[in-house]
Amino acid sequence: MPTAAPPSAANAEVAVRLRGIGKRFPGVIANDDINIDVHRGTIHAIVGENGAGKSTLMKILYGVQPPDSGTIEINGEQVNLHSPADAIKAGVGMVFQHFMLADNLTVLENVVLGAERLHGIGAKARAEVMRISDAYGLGIQPDRLVEELGVGARQRVEILKVLYRGARIVILDEPTAVLVPQEVDELFGNLRGLKAEGLSVIFISHKLDEVLSVADEITVIRRGTTVQTVEPEGVTARQLAELMVGSELPSPSTEASTVTDQVLLRVRDLALPSDYASEGGRPLLDSVSFEIHRGEVLGIAGVEGNGQAELVESIMGMRPAATGLIELAGDDLSSRSTRQRREDGIGYIPEDRQRHGLLLDAPLWENRILGHQSRPPSVSHGLVDRRAARDDTQRIIREYDVRTPGPDVLARALSGGNQQKLIVGREMSGEPSLLIASHPTRGVDVGAQAAIWKHIKDARRNGLAVLLISADLDELIGLSDRIEVILRGRFVGSFDPAGVTPERLGSAMTGAGETA
Amino acid sequence: MTKARLTSIGLGVAAAALALLAAFVITSLVLLAAGDPVGDVWGQLLAWPEMRNWANIINNASVLYLSALAVAVGFRMNLFNIGVDGQYRVAAFTAAVVAGEAWLPGYLNTALAIVCAMAVGAIWAGIAGLLRAARGVSEVISTIMLNFIATGLVAYLLRQVSVREEGSNEIGTREIPEGSRIGGIPFGDYEIYGFIVIAAIAGFAFWFVLNRTRFGFDLRATGRSTTAAVASGIDVRRMTVAALMISGAIAGLVGLPILFGDSYTYGSTFQSGLGFAGIAIALLGRNNPIGIAFGAVLFAYLDEQSNPLQILVGVSPDIVAITQGVIVLTVVISYELVRRYGVRLEQREVARVLASSRTDKPKEVSA
Amino acid sequence: MRRTTKFAAVLAAGILALTACGSDSDGDSDAGSDDGNTAAPTSDVKVGMAYDVGGRGDQSFNDSAAAGLDQAKEEGLIAEAQESEAEDGEAESAREERLRTFADAGYDPIIAVGFAYAASVGKVAEEYPDIHFAIIDDSSLADVPNVASLVFAEEQGSFLVGAAAALKTESDHVGFVGGVETPLIQKFEAGYAAGVKAVNPDVKIDVKYLTQVPDFSGFADPAKGKTAAQGMYDNGADIVYHAAGGSGGGVFEAASEAGAKAIGVDSDQYNTADPSVKDVIMTSMLKNVNVAVYEYLKQVSGGTFPSGVTTYDLAVDGVGYSTSGGFIDDITDQLDEYKQQIIDGEITVPDKP
Repeated sequence: MPTAAPPSAANAEVAVRLRGIGKRFPGVIANDDINIDVHRGTIHAIVGENGAGKSTLMKILYGVQPPDSGTIEINGEQVNLHSPADAIKAGVGMVFQHFMLADNLTVLENVVLGAERLHGIGAKARAEVMRISDAYGLGIQPDRLVEELGVGARQRVEILKVLYRGARIVILDEPTAVLVPQEVDELFGNLRGLKAEGLSVIFISHKLDEVLSVADEITVIRRGTTVQTVEPEGVTARQLAELMVGSELPSPSTEASTVTDQVLLRVRDLALPSDYASEGGRPLLDSVSFEIHRGEVLGIAGVEGNGQAELVESIMGMRPAATGLIELAGDDLSSRSTRQRREDGIGYIPEDRQRHGLLLDAPLWENRILGHQSRPPSVSHGLVDRRAARDDTQRIIREYDVRTPGPDVLARALSGGNQQKLIVGREMSGEPSLLIASHPTRGVDVGAQAAIWKHIKDARRNGLAVLLISADLDELIGLSDRIEVILRGRFVGSFDPAGVTPERLGSAMTGAGETA
Repeated sequence: MTKARLTSIGLGVAAAALALLAAFVITSLVLLAAGDPVGDVWGQLLAWPEMRNWANIINNASVLYLSALAVAVGFRMNLFNIGVDGQYRVAAFTAAVVAGEAWLPGYLNTALAIVCAMAVGAIWAGIAGLLRAARGVSEVISTIMLNFIATGLVAYLLRQVSVREEGSNEIGTREIPEGSRIGGIPFGDYEIYGFIVIAAIAGFAFWFVLNRTRFGFDLRATGRSTTAAVASGIDVRRMTVAALMISGAIAGLVGLPILFGDSYTYGSTFQSGLGFAGIAIALLGRNNPIGIAFGAVLFAYLDEQSNPLQILVGVSPDIVAITQGVIVLTVVISYELVRRYGVRLEQREVARVLASSRTDKPKEVSA
Repeated sequence: MRRTTKFAAVLAAGILALTACGSDSDGDSDAGSDDGNTAAPTSDVKVGMAYDVGGRGDQSFNDSAAAGLDQAKEEGLIAEAQESEAEDGEAESAREERLRTFADAGYDPIIAVGFAYAASVGKVAEEYPDIHFAIIDDSSLADVPNVASLVFAEEQGSFLVGAAAALKTESDHVGFVGGVETPLIQKFEAGYAAGVKAVNPDVKIDVKYLTQVPDFSGFADPAKGKTAAQGMYDNGADIVYHAAGGSGGGVFEAASEAGAKAIGVDSDQYNTADPSVKDVIMTSMLKNVNVAVYEYLKQVSGGTFPSGVTTYDLAVDGVGYSTSGGFIDDITDQLDEYKQQIIDGEITVPDKP
């Protein structure tokens, strides 16, 4: 496939030139003939499905892995990057998706940590931090503890860390995944500030609207190779997505309402005191009341950490301190254990699939049993039926398109999207009446996302009630029949997805909506 | 047998071989540094044992096997039962008293004593389980403390009930009547403990319960990820108590092969320290009943072969304690290396399948 | 798994540390046979010595036995000696194998030091009827023809030092520190108490054992010994008798700090203890294991293998008391009077408290 020469920005100097980059693992080609030019003073987005080879490419550029073939030129000079230290020396810095900050240190200390030799740890370092912060408009407060900072501010600290070490080329891996829309706008402002100072930004994302709004050039990667480099003016999000998957796309939009008049889940005055209640901590949940009918999807919108996880865990019976009424199809659940609640027909897709949803070092068929230990087909009369568990895992692999050589593979070996498909398939088996889905498509590639949406919608048509928690507002709006916004443990607003924009939801999530 | 399973067994054997080789090299270096005759030491350690020694090895291995099995139950749930040592001593003492009193005739007496030993072991370990479940007390700390308490308690009770043979400075419980002893199994000209059958049954039960029952699944799931276990509906506190009690019940069997097959009394020279050897062997055997059997035989073999070192080669048998310690270290390191290698291998396999399944259905759309 | 890794490292470090502590004994293990070459062998007796836990170098019981062996070797009574020591908490079969290894390698006689060998000597002696065994501190094998039992009347020696304590105390308050509460050490306690009461029934006796079986660390823990003795001195005792092996050093330290007196055990500890504390050692109860071993080997080299029980009591000077330092020179007459009464049977010393 020919790589089109970048139409504009061609006059700018090339900061990073990748030519013919290839990386093979036995039996797999992770990268093959990657060609990218990143120009100085531009934001260059790299988009692609999970597993398309983005992270391998970035590891190569950041010196974590050497390429098998191809050349890397930085500012016109060919370089060999054997370690991140080499990359930093060459002016390449990386901001990871998961922040690497020490909570109990101040911002200044975090920045200086590991780079003490540059400007010491005293007044000189502080002056340098403030200089960078002012130059790029990062608004850093050097003496605050990191634990007091919000997500957006932490991300700015990470960016500052990279700049402090002298980076002129900044790689950001999925930087918006953890941000609310307002914070995303701030981040983009910062990135434009970097660009204006002549730095180059490489921006990895799969949120195509954001990419289109901020990037100067977009390179699409599919199956380890560069498909095309385009300018945002010339394409739509849909076209980009189709380039990414190489096929036409579904959308999350709901079809005709399937909401019935039968209440399945009734929650009244659900409250959960803070773990530090005696020290005056604010309750984690405060008089939350709602109902979900059969065939209805209730979406919960909110900035992370406002009680979503606690709400889900209270309904699942994992929070013994919770008070209030929870009824499933008219039965009071308060005295039932998590296992009984599951047996009563609640399916549960946990927020953190690796910690709560999977046994990473167990084979897939054992993961199929998890949460269904008391139910056929995998278990009968207290004995594990391995054959049945394997067969049913095969069914899930087939129906949910889990990409794996078979049910005996360890869960750890699967990519995030395939792990998630396995979980969804598992939780949908046994025909649940209620599905609690926390971020069901987070970190999942476009193809898998579409498949998961389809399964949820199909089940909803058959009368499944769904409690959907998601940070992806498009997903919430597209799937839900109703959206509740949660803020500091309380429901603060109810929206009809048909008439709401992500911006309005975002305002409500941060509390700005109360006055608006 | 699937290919994946063959691969995993192959990797396991490779890991053990690698570890033993490394331990061999390191121990040799230690011997060299100490100026000891390396060749003579290995000559003695690796000489083919005589039948009598084999009988001893098998006997000691059956004892170590039970100890490691008890530790492994906890390990499977990520619980560290350091207290097997105390548990087996309390239990063996109980069994010795019950069997010595002979309230029931013959083998009924034996059975009662075994049940009592398991119950006492389970209760003793259950204390640590309850503390962990109710108050979050680390089982490492509480089982260590319970070891001390067990020592004092058994010593006190032993003095209360002890009988002493004329002319001997040993004290011990009353001897188990002949009809309640467990006879040996002929082994060449020698005999091995009949109790080995019970050890084998315990090993099978361990495997079956852990791998084939829902309870075992819950236990392993909790060990692999407490958070995922909670989310799946497992009552982790109850599992903690149950796992430690089972561990304690098996620990209760540890001293019994000796008691019913050799000493017939619990006294001041009853073998001690078996619980700690069990920890090392459980690590060596990767908490797997077959692996533990090999580990137990290896440790018993080294113990047996090292005994004459001082007399015949003039080297302290402590060298074998060093070897055993080094084996534990190298084993853990090599298992971890091989585990990582295995995961990488599998990830590649997955990626390969993924890549080929994609090329199976090529769909190209141009922008 | 990560937790397991960490744990294993700690465990292995612990094992290595333990063996590092214990392995210094191996340098000494064959010292005896080397020394044997210096004296011209006039005998073809090959002796196997199976020590209890601690072995040669324990400054106590095992060392005393080793001294008897060394003396026999110096005098050319035996041609060769090989030594081996027990491991703490070892299996019964390990003790048996130790004896069998000696037997198979042609050692005859084989001396088992300590009552822990009773069962294994009994078993192995039966398997090797042509080899001769000796066991110290046990008489349960009195009827086995190829076993000699060497036992001591510890209660008699303890009686005398008890009497000495009662005669010397100014506070009418003395103490006893036992290493491990076994019947053997209880003999020391019983004799000591009887000796004290014989002089003055009103003297108060504090008794403390450092550990209980199967924890034998009470024989090798000076810190514990010191704490126990300190308590007694603080409580008003002015003389403390210890039967606690290596832990006795702590008792002497405590006595030195309290400006009080202590009584040693097994050998004349005035001569062997640390010079800084020797002045607190009023006397020592002598349990002459070395004499028993030497006498036994002397008979063996003369061509006769003794069997049955030989009791080393006051009558044969198998036990006694020491006078080094001259602290009890003024009361030796009284003590010797008691000694004679015991030998004559006028006083029967109890061997159980």
